[in-house]
Amino acid sequence: MPEITFKQANRRYRRMFWPVIGVYTAICFAGPLYLKTLAEPPQWLVAGVALASAAPLVLVFWLMSRLLRETDEYTRAMQTQAMLAGGGATLSFAGVWGFLELFEVVPHLWPFLLVPMFFFAYGAVYCARRLRAGSGAAR
Amino acid sequence: MKNTLRDLRAGRGWSQGDLADALGVSRQSVNALETGKYDPSLPLAFRIARLFDRRIEDVFDDGFAAGTLAAE
Repeated sequence: MPEITFKQANRRYRRMFWPVIGVYTAICFAGPLYLKTLAEPPQWLVAGVALASAAPLVLVFWLMSRLLRETDEYTRAMQTQAMLAGGGATLSFAGVWGFLELFEVVPHLWPFLLVPMFFFAYGAVYCARRLRAGSGAAR
Repeated sequence: MKNTLRDLRAGRGWSQGDLADALGVSRQSVNALETGKYDPSLPLAFRIARLFDRRIEDVFDDGFAAGTLAAE
Protein backbone atom coordinates (compact mmCIF):
# COMPACT_ATOMS: atom_id res chain seq x y z
CA MET A 1 0.00 0.00 0.00
CA PRO A 2 1.21 3.55 -0.68
CA GLU A 3 1.93 5.81 2.34
CA ILE A 4 -1.20 7.81 1.58
CA THR A 5 -4.15 6.63 -0.50
CA PHE A 6 -5.86 8.48 -3.32
CA LYS A 7 -8.85 9.25 -1.11
CA GLN A 8 -6.70 10.59 1.74
CA ALA A 9 -4.72 12.78 -0.68
CA ASN A 10 -7.92 14.18 -2.18
CA ARG A 11 -9.41 14.79 1.25
CA ARG A 12 -6.24 16.63 2.39
CA TYR A 13 -6.36 18.77 -0.75
CA ARG A 14 -10.04 19.69 -0.44
CA ARG A 15 -9.76 20.37 3.30
CA MET A 16 -7.21 23.11 2.55
CA PHE A 17 -8.34 24.26 -0.90
CA TRP A 18 -11.79 25.63 -0.08
CA PRO A 19 -10.75 27.58 3.04
CA VAL A 20 -7.86 29.10 1.07
CA ILE A 21 -10.23 30.13 -1.74
CA GLY A 22 -12.57 31.58 0.91
CA VAL A 23 -9.72 33.64 2.40
CA TYR A 24 -8.67 34.73 -1.10
CA THR A 25 -12.19 35.93 -1.95
CA ALA A 26 -12.50 37.73 1.39
CA ILE A 27 -9.15 39.52 0.99
CA CYS A 28 -9.92 40.48 -2.62
CA PHE A 29 -13.10 42.23 -1.51
CA ALA A 30 -12.09 43.46 1.95
CA GLY A 31 -8.58 44.68 1.01
CA PRO A 32 -9.58 47.42 -1.46
CA LEU A 33 -12.58 48.40 0.67
CA TYR A 34 -10.32 48.84 3.69
CA LEU A 35 -7.79 50.89 1.73
CA LYS A 36 -10.60 53.16 0.51
CA THR A 37 -11.45 54.04 4.10
CA LEU A 38 -8.00 55.59 4.53
CA ALA A 39 -7.30 59.05 3.13
CA GLU A 40 -3.67 58.31 2.31
CA PRO A 41 -2.77 54.71 3.05
CA PRO A 42 0.97 54.22 3.58
CA GLN A 43 2.85 52.38 0.86
CA TRP A 44 3.75 49.50 3.15
CA LEU A 45 0.05 48.92 3.91
CA VAL A 46 -0.91 48.98 0.22
CA ALA A 47 1.91 46.56 -0.52
CA GLY A 48 0.79 44.38 2.38
CA VAL A 49 -2.78 44.19 1.08
CA ALA A 50 -1.48 43.37 -2.42
CA LEU A 51 0.78 40.60 -1.10
CA ALA A 52 -1.98 39.26 1.15
CA SER A 53 -4.26 39.05 -1.92
CA ALA A 54 -1.63 37.10 -3.85
CA ALA A 55 -0.57 34.79 -1.00
CA PRO A 56 -3.58 32.40 -1.24
CA LEU A 57 -2.87 31.91 -4.96
CA VAL A 58 0.70 30.85 -4.17
CA LEU A 59 -0.68 28.52 -1.49
CA VAL A 60 -3.08 26.93 -4.01
CA PHE A 61 -0.14 26.13 -6.30
CA TRP A 62 1.66 24.53 -3.37
CA LEU A 63 -1.48 22.49 -2.57
CA MET A 64 -1.61 21.34 -6.19
CA SER A 65 2.02 20.24 -6.11
CA ARG A 66 1.38 18.31 -2.88
CA LEU A 67 -1.67 16.66 -4.42
CA LEU A 68 0.41 15.62 -7.42
CA ARG A 69 3.00 14.02 -5.12
CA GLU A 70 0.41 12.21 -3.02
CA THR A 71 -2.29 11.11 -5.45
CA ASP A 72 -2.25 7.86 -7.41
CA GLU A 73 -0.10 7.55 -10.50
CA TYR A 74 -2.92 7.56 -13.08
CA THR A 75 -4.48 10.72 -11.64
CA ARG A 76 -1.00 12.27 -11.43
CA ALA A 77 -0.43 11.54 -15.12
CA MET A 78 -3.83 12.98 -16.09
CA GLN A 79 -3.39 16.07 -13.91
CA THR A 80 0.17 16.69 -15.10
CA GLN A 81 -0.84 16.50 -18.76
CA ALA A 82 -3.74 18.88 -18.12
CA MET A 83 -1.50 21.32 -16.22
CA LEU A 84 1.08 21.28 -19.00
CA ALA A 85 -1.59 21.87 -21.65
CA GLY A 86 -3.33 24.54 -19.56
CA GLY A 87 -0.02 26.21 -18.69
CA GLY A 88 1.11 26.09 -22.30
CA ALA A 89 -2.15 27.61 -23.54
CA THR A 90 -2.01 30.37 -20.91
CA LEU A 91 1.63 31.25 -21.56
CA SER A 92 1.03 31.20 -25.32
CA PHE A 93 -1.85 33.60 -24.84
CA ALA A 94 0.32 35.76 -22.57
CA GLY A 95 3.10 35.81 -25.15
CA VAL A 96 0.80 36.76 -28.02
CA TRP A 97 -1.02 39.36 -25.94
CA GLY A 98 2.28 40.75 -24.63
CA PHE A 99 3.59 41.46 -28.12
CA LEU A 100 0.27 42.91 -29.24
CA GLU A 101 0.33 45.12 -26.16
CA LEU A 102 3.94 46.13 -26.85
CA PHE A 103 2.89 47.38 -30.29
CA GLU A 104 -0.16 49.07 -28.75
CA VAL A 105 -2.68 46.95 -30.64
CA VAL A 106 -4.49 45.76 -27.51
CA PRO A 107 -4.99 47.36 -24.07
CA HIS A 108 -2.93 46.47 -21.01
CA LEU A 109 -3.77 43.16 -19.31
CA TRP A 110 -3.10 42.76 -15.61
CA PRO A 111 -0.78 39.75 -15.25
CA PHE A 112 -2.65 38.35 -12.23
CA LEU A 113 -5.57 37.61 -14.56
CA LEU A 114 -3.39 34.88 -16.06
CA VAL A 115 -3.89 32.84 -12.89
CA PRO A 116 -7.67 32.30 -13.29
CA MET A 117 -7.02 31.92 -17.02
CA PHE A 118 -4.62 29.07 -16.27
CA PHE A 119 -7.11 27.40 -13.94
CA PHE A 120 -9.84 27.66 -16.56
CA ALA A 121 -7.62 26.17 -19.30
CA TYR A 122 -6.29 23.46 -16.98
CA GLY A 123 -9.81 22.55 -15.82
CA ALA A 124 -11.15 22.46 -19.37
CA VAL A 125 -8.32 20.20 -20.56
CA TYR A 126 -8.69 17.91 -17.54
CA CYS A 127 -12.46 17.56 -18.05
CA ALA A 128 -11.98 16.89 -21.77
CA ARG A 129 -9.40 14.18 -21.02
CA ARG A 130 -11.64 12.60 -18.40
CA LEU A 131 -14.53 12.54 -20.87
CA ARG A 132 -12.33 11.04 -23.58
CA ALA A 133 -10.93 8.42 -21.21
CA GLY A 134 -14.51 7.57 -20.21
CA SER A 135 -15.49 7.32 -16.60
CA GLY A 136 -16.37 3.64 -17.07
CA ALA A 137 -19.25 1.87 -15.44
CA ALA A 138 -18.65 0.60 -11.92
CA ARG A 139 -19.16 -3.03 -12.73
CA MET B 1 -1.11 -3.76 -22.53
CA LYS B 2 -3.62 -6.57 -22.22
CA ASN B 3 -4.46 -7.78 -18.74
CA THR B 4 -6.77 -10.07 -16.83
CA LEU B 5 -7.63 -7.53 -14.16
CA ARG B 6 -11.35 -7.43 -14.91
CA ASP B 7 -11.63 -11.24 -14.73
CA LEU B 8 -9.60 -11.40 -11.52
CA ARG B 9 -11.73 -8.69 -9.95
CA ALA B 10 -14.97 -10.34 -11.07
CA GLY B 11 -13.70 -13.62 -9.66
CA ARG B 12 -13.67 -12.06 -6.23
CA GLY B 13 -17.02 -10.37 -6.75
CA TRP B 14 -15.48 -6.92 -6.35
CA SER B 15 -16.64 -3.70 -7.94
CA GLN B 16 -14.10 -1.33 -9.48
CA GLY B 17 -14.48 0.80 -6.37
CA ASP B 18 -13.65 -2.16 -4.11
CA LEU B 19 -10.49 -2.90 -6.08
CA ALA B 20 -9.56 0.80 -6.10
CA ASP B 21 -9.89 0.91 -2.31
CA ALA B 22 -7.80 -2.23 -1.93
CA LEU B 23 -5.05 -0.71 -4.08
CA GLY B 24 -5.35 2.81 -2.67
CA VAL B 25 -6.02 4.31 -6.11
CA SER B 26 -8.98 6.01 -7.79
CA ARG B 27 -11.79 4.07 -9.46
CA GLN B 28 -10.87 5.85 -12.68
CA SER B 29 -7.40 4.31 -12.39
CA VAL B 30 -8.89 0.83 -12.15
CA ASN B 31 -11.11 1.52 -15.15
CA ALA B 32 -8.16 2.84 -17.19
CA LEU B 33 -6.10 -0.22 -16.25
CA GLU B 34 -8.87 -2.67 -17.10
CA THR B 35 -9.56 -1.10 -20.48
CA GLY B 36 -5.84 -1.03 -21.31
CA LYS B 37 -5.78 2.76 -21.57
CA TYR B 38 -3.12 3.00 -18.88
CA ASP B 39 -0.15 0.75 -18.14
CA PRO B 40 0.76 0.66 -14.45
CA SER B 41 4.18 1.40 -13.01
CA LEU B 42 6.17 -1.58 -11.80
CA PRO B 43 5.34 -0.96 -8.09
CA LEU B 44 1.60 -0.80 -8.88
CA ALA B 45 1.82 -3.89 -11.09
CA PHE B 46 3.47 -5.76 -8.20
CA ARG B 47 0.75 -4.55 -5.81
CA ILE B 48 -1.96 -5.77 -8.17
CA ALA B 49 -0.29 -9.14 -8.70
CA ARG B 50 0.24 -9.67 -4.97
CA LEU B 51 -3.34 -8.68 -4.18
CA PHE B 52 -4.56 -11.51 -6.41
CA ASP B 53 -1.72 -13.82 -5.39
CA ARG B 54 -0.41 -14.04 -8.97
CA ARG B 55 2.79 -13.25 -10.84
CA ILE B 56 2.89 -10.01 -12.82
CA GLU B 57 3.02 -11.91 -16.12
CA ASP B 58 -0.12 -13.80 -15.12
CA VAL B 59 -1.97 -10.48 -14.86
CA PHE B 60 -0.32 -8.42 -17.61
CA ASP B 61 0.56 -9.49 -21.14
CA ASP B 62 2.96 -7.27 -23.09
CA GLY B 63 2.48 -9.37 -26.24
CA PHE B 64 5.94 -10.92 -26.18
CA ALA B 65 6.36 -14.63 -25.67
CA ALA B 66 8.80 -15.73 -22.96
CA GLY B 67 12.37 -15.87 -24.27
CA THR B 68 11.61 -13.65 -27.28
CA LEU B 69 14.24 -11.07 -26.40
CA ALA B 70 16.86 -13.69 -25.50
CA ALA B 71 16.48 -15.30 -28.95
CA GLU B 72 17.08 -11.98 -30.77
